[in-house]
Amino acid sequence: MKKIWLLGLIFTLIVGVMAFGQVKTLYWNLGTEPPSLDPNISTDTTSIQVEQALFLGLTDFDDETMAVVPELATHWEASEDGLTWTFYMRDDAIWTDGTPVTAHQVEYSVKRTLDPATGSSYAYVLWIIDGAKEFNNEEGGTADGVGVKAVDDYTVQFTLNQPAGYFPSIAGMWVCRPLPVSVVEKYGDAWTEAENIVTNGPYELGEWVHEDHMILYKSATYYDVANVKIDQIYCYMIEEASTAMTMYEAGNLDSTSPPLEDMDRVKAVPVLSKELYIAPDLCTYYYGFNNEKPPFDNPLVRKAFASAIDRQSLIDYVLKGGQKPAQTFTCPGIFGHVDGVAEGIGYPYNPEAAKQFLADAGYPNGEGFPEVTLMHNTSEGHSKIAQFVAQSFMDTLNVKVNIVNQEWKVYLATCREDAPQIYRMGWCADYPDANNWVNEVFNSKSGSNYANYNNPAYDALVEQAAKETDPAVRLDLYKQAETLLCDTDCAIAPIYFYTIVNLTKPYVVRTYAPLGGEHWEQWDILPH
Amino acid sequence: MFEFIVRRILWLIPVIFVVSVITFVLMHAVPGGPFDAEKALPQAIIDNLNAKYHLDDPLWKQYVDYMYGFIRFDLGPSISYRSRTVNDILAQQWPVTAMLGLASFAIALFGGIPLGLISAIKQNSLADYASMGISMLGLSIPNMALGPLLIWIFALRLKWFPVATWGSPIHVVLPAITLGTAYMASFARLTRASMLQVIREDYIQTARAKGVKHTTVMLKHALRNALIPVSTIAGPSFAGIMTGSMIVERIFAIPGIGKYYVTSVGNRDYPVIMATTLVFALAVVFMNMLVDISYGILDPRIRYN
Repeated sequence: MKKIWLLGLIFTLIVGVMAFGQVKTLYWNLGTEPPSLDPNISTDTTSIQVEQALFLGLTDFDDETMAVVPELATHWEASEDGLTWTFYMRDDAIWTDGTPVTAHQVEYSVKRTLDPATGSSYAYVLWIIDGAKEFNNEEGGTADGVGVKAVDDYTVQFTLNQPAGYFPSIAGMWVCRPLPVSVVEKYGDAWTEAENIVTNGPYELGEWVHEDHMILYKSATYYDVANVKIDQIYCYMIEEASTAMTMYEAGNLDSTSPPLEDMDRVKAVPVLSKELYIAPDLCTYYYGFNNEKPPFDNPLVRKAFASAIDRQSLIDYVLKGGQKPAQTFTCPGIFGHVDGVAEGIGYPYNPEAAKQFLADAGYPNGEGFPEVTLMHNTSEGHSKIAQFVAQSFMDTLNVKVNIVNQEWKVYLATCREDAPQIYRMGWCADYPDANNWVNEVFNSKSGSNYANYNNPAYDALVEQAAKETDPAVRLDLYKQAETLLCDTDCAIAPIYFYTIVNLTKPYVVRTYAPLGGEHWEQWDILPH
Repeated sequence: MFEFIVRRILWLIPVIFVVSVITFVLMHAVPGGPFDAEKALPQAIIDNLNAKYHLDDPLWKQYVDYMYGFIRFDLGPSISYRSRTVNDILAQQWPVTAMLGLASFAIALFGGIPLGLISAIKQNSLADYASMGISMLGLSIPNMALGPLLIWIFALRLKWFPVATWGSPIHVVLPAITLGTAYMASFARLTRASMLQVIREDYIQTARAKGVKHTTVMLKHALRNALIPVSTIAGPSFAGIMTGSMIVERIFAIPGIGKYYVTSVGNRDYPVIMATTLVFALAVVFMNMLVDISYGILDPRIRYN
């Protein structure tokens, strides 16, 4: 059977070559070796990028609007109480071994993610499914007790333990993607190797030389293969940004992210500046305050520091990537984002207000203010930002700031156990809903709440927003939550919203995916 | 000789034991674990992962289990690269590093020794100043500067070599030069110093007085003895470059093992930390043994009893 499909693939390639005169190859840099191509296990953007090309989800995201759009599921519906979600799947999706993609494989995948023996880091995003947490945490739950069921070959039903308007985004995540059951069972952890893997996406894995390269071929079995224009994707795994930049300039790569030290040159050289593309990304960079550590247990002190950060200058002179100043936490493009700058929520750079806040807190002109520790994880980029911001604090507030850095995992342990007065952190979207932000990070019960922020009113707001189904009500709840977090309580100082900074050759017709991996199947390469 | 080799191999056992205990204790003493991430995981998820990798066992048991696997050449799973075992990683990545290391070492040896020899024979001449100048440069320019410089000249401007990546003999040239230059320079300087000392020895004067040809005196009588200090540092150097150069592999996007020495520590990928450290220790011990054996060949006065 496999041979037939291989022949089919070769035939498609030959036809492609005859029709266009050449095989269209995209030369791409993954940036590193993908740690795993198992959708139930992956947590990093590199693996998810490749999985996006190899495995179909029930749903997908529109690159422009971030809206949830159909992929394997043609449509879906929720019961009136918002607890039961039914997804109706297309019946023409098939695996590279010729077998159909079915609802049973979705059920298998969800249960495999939740199986404690799988050790899936992202299993917790599925805990909203009935019985999922009990099974995953070994609290007496079983696989049969999990609220996911293939009603028939092409219908899958989820039962949730609370209404969740954002569930269609979750259903499309990699942890829910249907898996080739027999292959997973046969090869165990090695099922993702090129010689074993069976996939159902627009591309299939042709070759994977670890740490060196990966070749993806257009899949002849993909249901929409007629509209896939690029025949193969040659993925390098170059970690050094300056090497990738050199390869881009030498014509060996079709796209790359320019390193910071090259940004001035990229903007100045006409050819490169035309190939430069800057677009919003779905991440926020922020400085957290330890709300329990004096003198940062005083909201006025936190407000003083938040108002003393000259975000725009930081962006113009240090970051140089067209980032946007942030005054609220959830970034633009996410449902529930609040434009703090326009709506006057949060604290913009205002040295006079900063001084006044500090004076009101009992430290006029910084007198009597203890030395402050500002900590970040070791990295040249974070270090530059920390130096700039610390200088702002010292100049504006007349306080002494000590910058300390620690190796990444030591830093995480420090933040978890006893965060310093000011710590650096970032957050990127898993799915485009503010629940992933204000609730999962700063709910007082969250493990990522290194700020020790604890306001019962805030917890109530974000928990209510999670359960609420009316979008207008949810938006209002998130606005109230952001107002508490970044304004009234000023638990953190958001600094900027990330951007995608990218160079792409002019002959590549492409889209930009802020979430869940690029859609290579929608791209094209023009004759050049 | 045979007895000497057996004795040295037996010495491996305590060496590996000590190195493994120190590494194991240190890596567990460092704060942070393999499952710490920017997005903090719920404790229940971390418990599942710890159970999967037996990190919930007492430390002594984890050590004993690891070493039991090690002696059976089962180096365990990689925690960061979930579809691969440490055996896979070593089998696929180490030969690449070894190939690069061999090429670099050849450049170092066959470039460094002749340079040092010329310098010593033509002491205080232009040739001496030139070769010592080259050595000084080679020692002073760090890999992270030399690599991009070579790429800029030979790959971007002259287009003689590929910018980076791996796969054919031509891909080996620039990284091997980058990695080998510093070693070449130290071999050259050491050969020169050692030669200058040896050619003032009585037995060299004797050979000359007996009318032996100049080149024979230099190459056969002087160089052979002058190479003893060189071989002393050549052993550990070879072990070093055979087990990876993180920087050169990164600059040239080479799929070697060098990266794992650094990232495994950052990731707290315990089985990979143990394996890479022990492989390095084994390489150093083995190379030092070869050096000791080479003494006997180079200098007949050295005997192994």
